[in-house]
Amino acid sequence: MSYQSKTLQRGFSRRPERGAPVEKPKSGRNAFARLLSYFHEERPRILLLFLIVTLSVIGSVLAPRFQSQAIDSITTGNTESLGKILLSMTLLYLLSGVCTLIQGWLSASLSQSVARRLREDLFDKVIHLPLSFIDQHSHGDLMSRMTNDSDNISSVISDSLGTMFSGVLTLCGTLFMMFSLSWRLALLSCSTILLTVLVTTLITKSMRKFFLERQILLGKLNGTAEEMISNSRTVTAYGLEQDSINSFSLTADALTKTGTIAEVISGSMGPMMNMLNNLSFVVVAVFGAYFALNGSVSIGTISAFIIYSKQFSRPINELSQLYGQIQTALAGAERIFSVLDEPSEAEGGEILPPPVKGRIVFRNVNFSYVPGKPVIRNFSLTIESGHKIALVGATGSGKTTLINLLLRFYEIDSGEILLDGKNIAELSLGDLRDHIGIVLQDTVLFQDTVRNNLTYANSDTSMEKVRAAAKASNADYMIEHLPQGYDTVITSSSLSQGQRQLLAIGRAFLSDPDILILDEATSSVDTRTEKNIQDAMANLMKGRTSLIIAHRLSTITDADEIIVMDHGEIIERGNHRELLRAKGRYYELYMTQFRGGVI
Amino acid sequence: MKRNLLVYLKKYWLFAVIAASFMIGEVLADLYQPGMMADIVDRGILGIGNSGTPDPSYVASSGMRMILVVLLGGTCGVLCGAFTNYFGQNFGNEVRKACFERIMHFSFEQTDDFTSGSLITRITSDVTQVQNLVMQFTRGLVRCSMFLIGGSIALISLDLTFSRIVMIAVPLIFLEVGFVIWKTNPLFRLLQRRLDRMNTVMEEDISGIRVVRAFVQENREAERFHQANYEMADTQFRVLVMISWMRPVMNIILNLSIVALIRLGAVRVAEGAVQPGVLMAAITYITQILNGLMMLAMIFQTLSRGFTSAGRLSEVLESMPKIKDGKKEAPARSGTVEFDHVSFCYPGYETPVLQDISLKVASGETLAVIGTTGSGKSSLLNLIPRFYDTVKGRVLVDGMDVRDYKLAELRSRIAPVLQKSELFSGTIRRNIALSRPGASEEEIVSAARTAMADEFIVRQPDGYDTQVSEGGSSLSGGQKQRIAIARGLLKQAEILLLDDATSALDLSTEARLQDEMNRNYSGMTRIIVAQRIASVKRADRIAVLDHGRLVACDCHEKLMETCEVYRDIYDSQLKSAEVIE
Repeated sequence: MSYQSKTLQRGFSRRPERGAPVEKPKSGRNAFARLLSYFHEERPRILLLFLIVTLSVIGSVLAPRFQSQAIDSITTGNTESLGKILLSMTLLYLLSGVCTLIQGWLSASLSQSVARRLREDLFDKVIHLPLSFIDQHSHGDLMSRMTNDSDNISSVISDSLGTMFSGVLTLCGTLFMMFSLSWRLALLSCSTILLTVLVTTLITKSMRKFFLERQILLGKLNGTAEEMISNSRTVTAYGLEQDSINSFSLTADALTKTGTIAEVISGSMGPMMNMLNNLSFVVVAVFGAYFALNGSVSIGTISAFIIYSKQFSRPINELSQLYGQIQTALAGAERIFSVLDEPSEAEGGEILPPPVKGRIVFRNVNFSYVPGKPVIRNFSLTIESGHKIALVGATGSGKTTLINLLLRFYEIDSGEILLDGKNIAELSLGDLRDHIGIVLQDTVLFQDTVRNNLTYANSDTSMEKVRAAAKASNADYMIEHLPQGYDTVITSSSLSQGQRQLLAIGRAFLSDPDILILDEATSSVDTRTEKNIQDAMANLMKGRTSLIIAHRLSTITDADEIIVMDHGEIIERGNHRELLRAKGRYYELYMTQFRGGVI
Repeated sequence: MKRNLLVYLKKYWLFAVIAASFMIGEVLADLYQPGMMADIVDRGILGIGNSGTPDPSYVASSGMRMILVVLLGGTCGVLCGAFTNYFGQNFGNEVRKACFERIMHFSFEQTDDFTSGSLITRITSDVTQVQNLVMQFTRGLVRCSMFLIGGSIALISLDLTFSRIVMIAVPLIFLEVGFVIWKTNPLFRLLQRRLDRMNTVMEEDISGIRVVRAFVQENREAERFHQANYEMADTQFRVLVMISWMRPVMNIILNLSIVALIRLGAVRVAEGAVQPGVLMAAITYITQILNGLMMLAMIFQTLSRGFTSAGRLSEVLESMPKIKDGKKEAPARSGTVEFDHVSFCYPGYETPVLQDISLKVASGETLAVIGTTGSGKSSLLNLIPRFYDTVKGRVLVDGMDVRDYKLAELRSRIAPVLQKSELFSGTIRRNIALSRPGASEEEIVSAARTAMADEFIVRQPDGYDTQVSEGGSSLSGGQKQRIAIARGLLKQAEILLLDDATSALDLSTEARLQDEMNRNYSGMTRIIVAQRIASVKRADRIAVLDHGRLVACDCHEKLMETCEVYRDIYDSQLKSAEVIE
């Protein structure tokens, strides 16, 4: 799955959708405390932010006070101090404005810095996690933690940190100003605000159920659309068009019904708030007028109150929305931390003294991915230095697992694997893997230049060596015909499967391993490329201990030893001739490939 | 917005008009209040027009009127929301259903052109965007322009000189908004690119983790990611700053306008041209005008995004299904297929995939098709159920041109098992029975047995009732293929097409599958595309394709003698086998 930044999705509108269901963290407090540790480094910026916010609030709270004086001086006709008052007003508004600009800058830099560090930590963790963890989690899920969750956190930081602080300050400051101007009008304003809070809670509560239902239906609808469209060939082939349209329509109609209810309720929030705001305006105007008639307040005070009561209700709204956002972010933070808490692959260990001969011994190795379901059973095998060994067997017989164990992608349950007489469990992972080169069936190349892909193991390889390796792996002709030769950037679709395979072989050449692991390609490439790949592989194997996972038996007839596996055990071994003569499983396999089933 | 989308709005235009009227009502109520307050201050408190005597009863009656107006405005607002939502949601629903229906009738070519990923986005998020568009149009646009226009009129009617301030402030805000949009739009695009880059690195490293580890390049990858991450965060930061500055700058403009207004007001009050209450009302109006303007800018952004989405949906609705029903009466079913000088090339490509192919398949015959990659094997199969149409020549099923059949009738005679086994969420049983919804349990099990699927299905935790996960990821490639084959067999059509549908099976399983099919479905005409010689050897005849041409069609033994292309393929797969024997 790919990911869209919140900033891109929302564009200029900064508010999340109202009433969307909120995901709750399991232990919000812990996640929060840990998240705080990410702000540790940012302390100077945070302090500055608080300072700036305080200044901006002071400006915006004091300015209306001067406005009220200005209005009063106009009503009373006593305008000599007006110039000074207006100047103060201007300065205060400018102060507050400039401070908000700085606040925006600070929040953005704070949020991006924290999100960037979160992603960095997470990536550094993932790249060192044991493969068992990565294999068990969907890649989409891992990516979503790195992107969506960290983005949620960052947008909450950029939105909320300043908002929260300035909201609370504004509330206090405004309250103080209102009460100092006229406590009676202040009390009246507060009562309408209480009403606002009451209405908001009521509406939010009543719409929660519908939003939840809508969310479920939406998920179902998107699921149906995705399934039917990506499987559209089958839909067409079996004439299922009408059935899928019917089931889609059913969900779509239900969604519309629930969605309309949910939206009407949540949509009434805006007008209701507007109405309550206006009500507070009326209250201020009418009661202000009465008090003005008594002479207890001035007209300027009324005008200041109009501003203050608006200033007062805005943070309440914002703060009430913050809660949900923070919950979502904390839930995301929990998911991130749960990955960060996973133990990494073991570090350290001994280094094999050179020269490495590449003699491999499996001794009574047992292994299971899931406890109780053994995949490798009491497996013993000695591979002499420089020998070529082929592993043969049906899918699930344990061939790939052996490779996983040799590279220590997974750790064995019992027994031992020795390299040059040294238990690999005691070697440093980096050193062990340095000695082993792999060419996998689905070729992994990176979106980078051909050259950088070839020199993957060692980026400062000389160009002569690169060319030599390309030649040895039969890739030179192909590379030179690419638009920019060795500097062509490889994208996912720019090369054919066969070409990718050749590059992977070239890459293995340049890493110059002592031991080579080849997962032979089954994918259909045309006969000439196939021949090219076979020749290149044979070149690569010369003088190295090689382990081949064989799919086509015709390619391994010259192996020093062929190991036939079934359910994690060796059931037959020997060279091609011996095995054919034995007329056992290998013979059977060979004959089916050759004769197409008639034995 | 194009006509083909507007059609769906037509049904709801009345709702839209009503919604807009209610919105106008709400804004009018909002605009009415500052004026009334001015009256309260001037007549009620200052007693202007009443020789300086305050008028408390006027305050009370005005207050009552104001409350009434507020309630009326609020009601209008709620009703506007209800009407807008009703028509917006229903409009969205109709568009969504129409698009989905159209997509379901797309030919393979059309789905490929759009790509299924893009079609899914269109049906999900684009519909939501368009829905937002029409709702914003009736609600936001009306609201903001009313505030802008109504507020200006109200302000000017208070005192003409106040218009000077509006005339300065409004262009300033336009300038600001324009500047931000001009600056951010390229940044948004840059951000998208950097995001893509970061996603790519992440995706590559997670799915290629074995290679990264085997070459001990964790640090190099971490550095690559940090770089992409840093660039992304940096761009995102710049975008965020631009956006967060929009409102503060506008607030500065607004507040300075208020200061200017008071300054101007002081002069006008001293001249006796306006009353203090009027000045207070003017302050509220100018706030409303400038706020409306600001909102307008944001709405325009939603609108432009909505229009883009609308265009993408129009494209879907514009694409008429390319493959249409024929009109002739269907002949009796017998299961014969004939290619009559067929040529084919994929739309938009020049190189022909198939050239002048003539071939007859008799009822009950098993024909295998073999050839190198790109030789046109799958394309040949796809012409039979009219997944594509020929460029030249005819394909006949049961003696009639496939283009003369009603599509449903034609396809009811054919059971295609596709190259990629597509599974649906639900049970294994449901997945098999898709091809014949009314099938009995025995029929399903018997099809699964023949397809060599029964043996692994019964070992699943819930047997046939085991849930297939999203895309069938809980099953191996070979298992998925066998389910797809069972699905094809269950249809019991006269013609079975297997498009490289056994590639993930090991050879002995495949051989048993072929034996079972020979035994239980001997009357079915079978056309099998395969890569492996072993898969095709036992067919009645083998058609050998090379670069889109039919080079030979005969049984294995004859082909070995006469056909060089076939021998080449044979040699490359089973070289030197006989020598050793």
